[in-house]
Amino acid sequence: MWQLIREIQKNRELIWALALKELRVRYKRSTLGFLWALLNPLLMMVILTVVFSTVMRIQIDHYSVFLLSVLLPWTLFSQSLAYAAESIVGNGELLKKVYIAKSVFPMAAVLSNVINFFFSLIPLLILLPLLRFPFHWTWIYLPVPLLGLVLFSLGCSFFLAMANVFFRDVAHILQVILSAWFYVSPIIYSVDFVPARYRFFFRLNPMLYLLNGFRLSIYYGLLPSLQSATASLGVGALGLVLGYWIFRRYQDTLVFYV
Amino acid sequence: MSKDQSALGAARLRFENVVQRFRVIQERPDTLREVFTRVFHHSSHYHDFEALKGISFEIFDGEMVGIVGRNGSGKSTTLKIIAGVYCPTSGVVNVSGKVAALIELGAGFHPDLTGRENIVLNGLLIGLSKREIRACEERILDFAELGEFIDSPIKQYSSGMILRLGFSIAMEVDPDILLIDEILAVGDAAFQQKCLARIDDFRRRKTIIYVSHSTASVRQLCNRALLLDRGVLVADGCPDDVMARYEELLQQPMEARV
Repeated sequence: MWQLIREIQKNRELIWALALKELRVRYKRSTLGFLWALLNPLLMMVILTVVFSTVMRIQIDHYSVFLLSVLLPWTLFSQSLAYAAESIVGNGELLKKVYIAKSVFPMAAVLSNVINFFFSLIPLLILLPLLRFPFHWTWIYLPVPLLGLVLFSLGCSFFLAMANVFFRDVAHILQVILSAWFYVSPIIYSVDFVPARYRFFFRLNPMLYLLNGFRLSIYYGLLPSLQSATASLGVGALGLVLGYWIFRRYQDTLVFYV
Repeated sequence: MSKDQSALGAARLRFENVVQRFRVIQERPDTLREVFTRVFHHSSHYHDFEALKGISFEIFDGEMVGIVGRNGSGKSTTLKIIAGVYCPTSGVVNVSGKVAALIELGAGFHPDLTGRENIVLNGLLIGLSKREIRACEERILDFAELGEFIDSPIKQYSSGMILRLGFSIAMEVDPDILLIDEILAVGDAAFQQKCLARIDDFRRRKTIIYVSHSTASVRQLCNRALLLDRGVLVADGCPDDVMARYEELLQQPMEARV
């Protein structure tokens, strides 16, 4: 783990520049440009709200806020993984020519999506007064679940960036896994909807602990229990340690396969 | 710098019995399906290939060393080990100081970013800090002679312009060891003259390792040469002698290799 901290310290300018490049390139060719960072989650929310609140009649007050409070962090997670999976393969030509710490690419992928996440909070902040939804003071708690989520995303990103070098299938399977994961995670519903006898299986999903804090503080205006906060950080740290450990084992052989 | 003086100090670069083994796979399994079929058929479609078979040499400050050899003799592998891109299978490699490579210039450029943005990104990728880049940006712009193109996306550049920009950035790294892989064919005659003058100036103070097929340029530029043949160091000495050996070697028919 010290190794990782040293690498971040040494390459912080490069990671930052790569993340900004990622964002700039992502939005550069479109007419609306950076507005897409704001529009994307908003459109997604409109679709899901229409489907689940109006068509399926899920009985939840202010469904759009209920949804958006965890949809935004979920987007941070899933986009990070999608970008990270391609990050090392996509920079293969470069890695074969210059020595660069390989870890900077997955880290830049996550960082660019963290920046994107902050921008996507803007539409939520605009929406709250429009819907006459209270702005809870518990927002100040958000850095804690965000930290847990970012650590977990980093861990998964390290693993996927490495795995995709050896098996290019990973990027494709990932799309399927992410959409399945979306539906088994409490995003469009809450865990209370799940029949008690299945709830055990839902407890095995790390997303439950990682997303919980976001919904509690944004939607319910509650602070999570100490237990829940620890779970979110613990799951995040565990994911990072595991992912980075595997990454380190293979990072020196990556260059022969990219 | 006199040879006696540098011989007293520690070597800038030391290879001791360096072996680089590659797993050459005929049709590397890129997808899981191929891995499964391979596992079920118990077939191994690879063999190990030794690109370097135990190479030892030392290089001191103030030397400009040319590495020559036929295709596949291990020249580029040697450069990549020095640059840190490859991790040798066995043996000891000691490199002291900063290494910069002029291997395929512009590998880190992004076509959608402008020349100026690419200077920053590329500089960070080859190990400069932001402050260092800002300090030498003017000199890079000056040397690359891009005019107002500097604020246009790189994809609109001619290949000569890209090479000029890449060369100008790499020269600003001010490394202790400069690796050059057959790039002196950069740009027009005037620009080549400028590059040679720059390299000449550099050579007085630092170490240059130059890989080339051109015996004339090695004779002209280098004060020492190494001849590699099929992963073995067959000659090490003054360029004239080594080039003679090399020309002899070129006369021999290429036997079938492993």
